[in-house]
Amino acid sequence: MLEVVTTGAQSEPQFAALVDALTADRDRHEQLTDLLREDHSLYDQCGTATIVRMRGWVLLALGRAGVSDASLLFVLEELDAGTDPYLVAAAAHALRSYPRPNPALAPFVMRALTQIRYRDDPVSFEDYGEYAVASAGTSPVRELLTTLAWLGPHARGVLSEVESLRAQRGGLSRKLLIDVDRTLEAIRGADQVDEFDTETCCTLPSGLRNTISWAFSSRRDCEPIESTVFEDHTGELITFKEFFRGQPSIVVFFYTRCDNPLKCSLTVTKLARIQKLLEAQGLADQIHTAAITYDPAFDLPERIRGYGQNRGVRMNAGNRMLRATDGVNALRRHFRLGVNFIESLVNRHRIEAYVLDAEGRIAASFERIHWDEQQVVDRTIEVLKEKSDETMSEVSPEPADPTARRKTASLMFATLASLGVAFFPKCPICWAGYLSLFGIAGLNQIPFSPWLQPLLIAVMLINLGSVWLRGRLTGRMSGFYLVSAGAFAIVVLKMGLGWEDAAAWGVALTLAGSLVSALGAGNRPAAMRALSVPFALFARLVNSSRGDSPNDVE
Amino acid sequence: MTKKRKAAKTSTSARKPKRAAMRSTRAAMSVATSARGTVKERVAALAEVPLAVCESDKDLQAMLKVLRNKDEPVEVRLAALQSLAAAAFSVIAFESCRSDYIATLREVAEDPNPEIRQRVLGLLAREKDGFAQKKLLEGLKNPEKALVPPEKALQLLSYDVHAEAYSLARDIVSKPPNADAKREALRLLAADATSAPLFEKLLRDKDESAEIRQISASALHALKPEKLQEHAREMLLDKSEYEDIQATSLTALTQFGDDAAIADDKALLKSVDRLSVGKASSKYKQSARRFLSKYGQ
Repeated sequence: MLEVVTTGAQSEPQFAALVDALTADRDRHEQLTDLLREDHSLYDQCGTATIVRMRGWVLLALGRAGVSDASLLFVLEELDAGTDPYLVAAAAHALRSYPRPNPALAPFVMRALTQIRYRDDPVSFEDYGEYAVASAGTSPVRELLTTLAWLGPHARGVLSEVESLRAQRGGLSRKLLIDVDRTLEAIRGADQVDEFDTETCCTLPSGLRNTISWAFSSRRDCEPIESTVFEDHTGELITFKEFFRGQPSIVVFFYTRCDNPLKCSLTVTKLARIQKLLEAQGLADQIHTAAITYDPAFDLPERIRGYGQNRGVRMNAGNRMLRATDGVNALRRHFRLGVNFIESLVNRHRIEAYVLDAEGRIAASFERIHWDEQQVVDRTIEVLKEKSDETMSEVSPEPADPTARRKTASLMFATLASLGVAFFPKCPICWAGYLSLFGIAGLNQIPFSPWLQPLLIAVMLINLGSVWLRGRLTGRMSGFYLVSAGAFAIVVLKMGLGWEDAAAWGVALTLAGSLVSALGAGNRPAAMRALSVPFALFARLVNSSRGDSPNDVE
Repeated sequence: MTKKRKAAKTSTSARKPKRAAMRSTRAAMSVATSARGTVKERVAALAEVPLAVCESDKDLQAMLKVLRNKDEPVEVRLAALQSLAAAAFSVIAFESCRSDYIATLREVAEDPNPEIRQRVLGLLAREKDGFAQKKLLEGLKNPEKALVPPEKALQLLSYDVHAEAYSLARDIVSKPPNADAKREALRLLAADATSAPLFEKLLRDKDESAEIRQISASALHALKPEKLQEHAREMLLDKSEYEDIQATSLTALTQFGDDAAIADDKALLKSVDRLSVGKASSKYKQSARRFLSKYGQ
């Protein structure tokens, strides 16, 4: 999606002018949707009331430009979990510009109506940031009823709820009851909907996906945040790697000062329900759960503990409430959190839950629209099974992701290069050894040029350096000692003192040392990574010369 | 008597008090909205109707008209506001009236009468109303536009932690228009995690008033409790520290301190022991003795 280019903080009139300009330009309508991302730089350091005015204006602009499939998710998000009268009214107003009214939209509108009816404050759509000082204009309930009327027969699924709203004594005002009657008439209206309903009922447009899953091979590595330190509800410190690697996990984000009961409070309550579902299926020990606060500066262990307890969250070694004590920004970048701040306080955020695999990588995310607990558990069980499948096929993993392929290629290249250096014939005797080994020729037939000697010594020193570096990284210096002994035998004893037998010992020791260095660390991935460091560095240099930065790799 | 008759009788007897109540409400509304009644009578009548006001659209509109009408006596308008606020407290019953009520409050927020302005802005601020927050912030940025004094504006803004008032509050702390404004600004900042260093500084500043230092201690306890523990210890060891602040420090350590660390802290125990028998007031000595008894002295 295109990013609206902005320079520094904008004033509210500038923002309104930007929105109006985007609305007027048909080719830039998609950028209006981009402005609804919570993490957009334009919302940085704005107060919540300001953000309400800004986002409300964008929603109204979408209403003028026409809600697309991509922006529909944002509109429905506001209806699903919004509690601000202006934003809910603006979302209801915008929805009416969606070109394909669908029966699946009606429950969102009805839910918003049920939630906002006791906060039916007057709102004004006339000018940016204007507050209604007379009740003659519109209000969220009025907008929602108008939207239900716009849905007409598509809203038949919620007809009984609207009827019960009408039947309640002392509920809506007399003025609104006229709107309810009009809505009921529209819903009961035309008959042509039956056929249409069977085709489109309950299917939302493809743009409306609040769940995203990543295939095993295409998941982002969690390396950038592995060292992020968290403090849990008891005050214990634990790193991301320690808690999230080794088993799948379910992670939700929240903060204790969130004043929208349909967001953080409900999210943490749903996490507690997830824990119960896992327990019922006997999976509580195999899957970790965590609730991470957006507001670590204020949400101290005691606060998050109380918040979790009050919502029925089970807290123990595998189920924790967490606050990041450092690396908050890295965490925000890694999860691409839909959140923004004024100083350290959250000014706006979306609903978000994640399923992490056993490597701590994001396997699935559930965003914006309320997620179903069973759905999250089911996805986590898939990830858990995938873990056991992976263990079985660990012998020959085949990473399909280009990043993983590049890393594997780098490892292989490094190992082969290392062995190549080790086995490279570094002196006439080596040549002889190789040739006699392959039975190609006798020693006498090998042409030996004295100018080759410095070159071979240089190669031997490179090998020596490489083996030393590997030894330092892996903590196993035995290979280096053997290669050093080999070099000593060749250079000092053979070349310096003319002791012919020393050459054979030197070659043998060099070969043995190089082999020990290259293979002695075993098959452990960490050792293999250490082994490839000098060559991986070289590979990275090659990559960066092609324009790939290390961050891109991550 | 048949069941039908019994039911009819019960229903009639149930309707009677309701009708009586309606008559009484109508009579009260009639007095309340009539300019012919005395102020005292009207205020008394308005106090009778709060919960019934929403049952009739006519009554509601009449009540809102009284509130809006600048020619009405202020006492009567304030009584009308009081009745409406009481009715609004019953959220479900007030549903049909809310829109008109909020619109009227916004209209009256800029009333010439300061008391009405302040009361109305208070009601809107409790609703976290964006209109009220905007007006209050504007007033703090530009005192000429202020609808209420800065200390009141800060107090009302503190009802919502998400109101963008922290930077303005910090400005007021560094350059306060009056002592009350500084105090309210600090109370507001007590929810701002980034203000912890400011509270540490104020807590240790012996030139600050005891009230400001106590607010700082309380804020620090909420934001960085471990820092308050550190400072409390140091202030108890400081012989030149004021008695009231040392009493606050003693309370902080007694109630929230790390028991094991304090019990091992010989210097601190010795210092408190000295305070418990010195020239200090009896209340302070009592706090010191409580502290010492808790930590095994």
